[in-house]
Amino acid sequence: MVRGLRKAYGERVVVDDVDLDVAAGEVVGLIGANGAGKTTTVECVQGLRRPDAGTVRVLGLDPVRHADRVRRWVGSQLQDSALPDRLRVHEAVELFATGRARPAGELLDQFGLAERRRSAFASLSGGERQRLFLVLALLNRPRLVILDELTQGLDPAARRGVWSAVRQLRDEGTTVLLVTHELDEAEALCDRVVAMRRGRVLDAGPPARLVDRHAGWARVQFGWPPGDRGDASGIGDAGEAGELVRAMRALPGVRDVSVHGDQVRVHGDRPVIAHVGAELVRRGRIPADLRVELPDLEAALLRLLRDDDTSTTAPTATSATPAYHAGPFTAELIGAQQ
Amino acid sequence: MTATMEPSLATATDAVTTPATAPTTTTTATAGTATATDAGEAAGRGAVRRLIRAELRLTVRDPMTMFFVFAFPVVTMLIIGGSFGRSPDEDFGGTDPAHWYVASYLTVVIAAAGLVMLPVHIASYRERGVLRRFAAAGFSRWSFAAAQLVAGLVAIALAGAVLLAVAAPVYGVPTPHSWWRVAVGLAAGAVAFVSIGVLLGTLLPSARSAQAVGLLLFFPSFLLGAGGPPPAVMGSALRVIAGPLPLTLVTKAVREPWLGIGDATGPLVAVVALALVALAVSARRSSLTSR
Repeated sequence: MVRGLRKAYGERVVVDDVDLDVAAGEVVGLIGANGAGKTTTVECVQGLRRPDAGTVRVLGLDPVRHADRVRRWVGSQLQDSALPDRLRVHEAVELFATGRARPAGELLDQFGLAERRRSAFASLSGGERQRLFLVLALLNRPRLVILDELTQGLDPAARRGVWSAVRQLRDEGTTVLLVTHELDEAEALCDRVVAMRRGRVLDAGPPARLVDRHAGWARVQFGWPPGDRGDASGIGDAGEAGELVRAMRALPGVRDVSVHGDQVRVHGDRPVIAHVGAELVRRGRIPADLRVELPDLEAALLRLLRDDDTSTTAPTATSATPAYHAGPFTAELIGAQQ
Repeated sequence: MTATMEPSLATATDAVTTPATAPTTTTTATAGTATATDAGEAAGRGAVRRLIRAELRLTVRDPMTMFFVFAFPVVTMLIIGGSFGRSPDEDFGGTDPAHWYVASYLTVVIAAAGLVMLPVHIASYRERGVLRRFAAAGFSRWSFAAAQLVAGLVAIALAGAVLLAVAAPVYGVPTPHSWWRVAVGLAAGAVAFVSIGVLLGTLLPSARSAQAVGLLLFFPSFLLGAGGPPPAVMGSALRVIAGPLPLTLVTKAVREPWLGIGDATGPLVAVVALALVALAVSARRSSLTSR
């Protein structure tokens, strides 16, 4: 539980009045660009940095005052950290293992490090180091796991393996706080994400809901048989094709209809998918190549950042529309969407 | 700016703040808190033991330690110990020059561990985020400093034993005239220099700067305070500079009662005081920087 967290380095405020709740068994992702304040926030949560203001409670305890007790229950994989170069993999596991540690062999096997157990840390590849950090983070059956850029440097197969381990943690009831730049990772793993920028929280919620709130569009694309074109240059205004384009433009929620060669693209709000499908069925024209493109979390975050830019450069508009501040506005926005 | 919070999370959040097996909160009965604290202390001792074991392994794998703490004192002792003959010489307090250097070079081991090995080791750990990882894993604020202290003292003991083992068949090892003064001088000197090493390691920003500062302190101390010419042949200016150097004091406190050329009470008291002050300052500094 974080309330009103503030942290500055000299004059530079890196975390500014952040609130954050992570429920038991939840996987929560902190997302945002570099310098958003994600890592500093989790460092305060771990008690590695002392907040300038605000309250932080982890498992009911102040992580700075009760650092030794809190850290016993927290497993972490930190950004920009290392182990002694000449420490071997199995020695690192022995060093970090407390009385309630899982069997080390099991974890080393799970993360593909069993063969490297006698290798020195310096000889491990970037991906192997990341996997070793994960092993150490999970070793002592933590109640809260903090993973900062957990798949950085991993190849796609190893990445999937790590994702599967995080899902397993969630299934076991472990709480996970994930810091990531990889939005597909956040989307795949997190129950909720918290989008941050310049030390502030822009919005939070389940990834799908964030996408709905900030990128609620869809694009439907389908081909139109060449014989049905209105003229030689493509689908024109004449004939059935032209009439189809006009009909698409008239559908509820449609923002734009464009034609690219023999492809028709309809762009609009999410319900457009159903309307376009219904219109095509009604006409007895069922294209075999119909595709639907939906925005992802990345598109939502980009929109969120763009809106934040607009609100910070236009203070009058911001006061009129307190975008992404607190619950009431969020509820209002959800209501508007519905 | 505030974060959003899903309204339905409130009760679940309460659940995570008071887990069944989590550390006790202030509302828990006193006995429960005491049990958790005792368990914490036991876990702390276990962490120190694990850290000491790991650090000892790493110490013997570190090329810089092997060179400066183990090889350098032995090689230079063999060379300079044979450079002035074996006849008792007034410049060497009327003793065998080889024995003078055997006694002196034990303190070179101490200085190498304190001024070269530990500062570089600790600064490198901090620079690369190793200390941060230890802190995040629950190693307490003082456990790393304690592990370094023990690892430094063990390295000094092992390297000292190697030096005497090599010296014995070549020059012979003189029997100390006052065992207890030699023992106290060596122990206090080791604690003083290891503490100075921990302090330098926490103060210097990088391994490179620690190496530069460490070598800059080590070589003048080595030449003026232990392994170089005896004070009797130094010019007056050099003698004035060499006199108050910590390594000079440690060497005097060990060498004079060892070879029977004085009891060195003044230097011994100074070294014990230095050890206490350096230990206190380095402990304070370590507790501030290990987070």
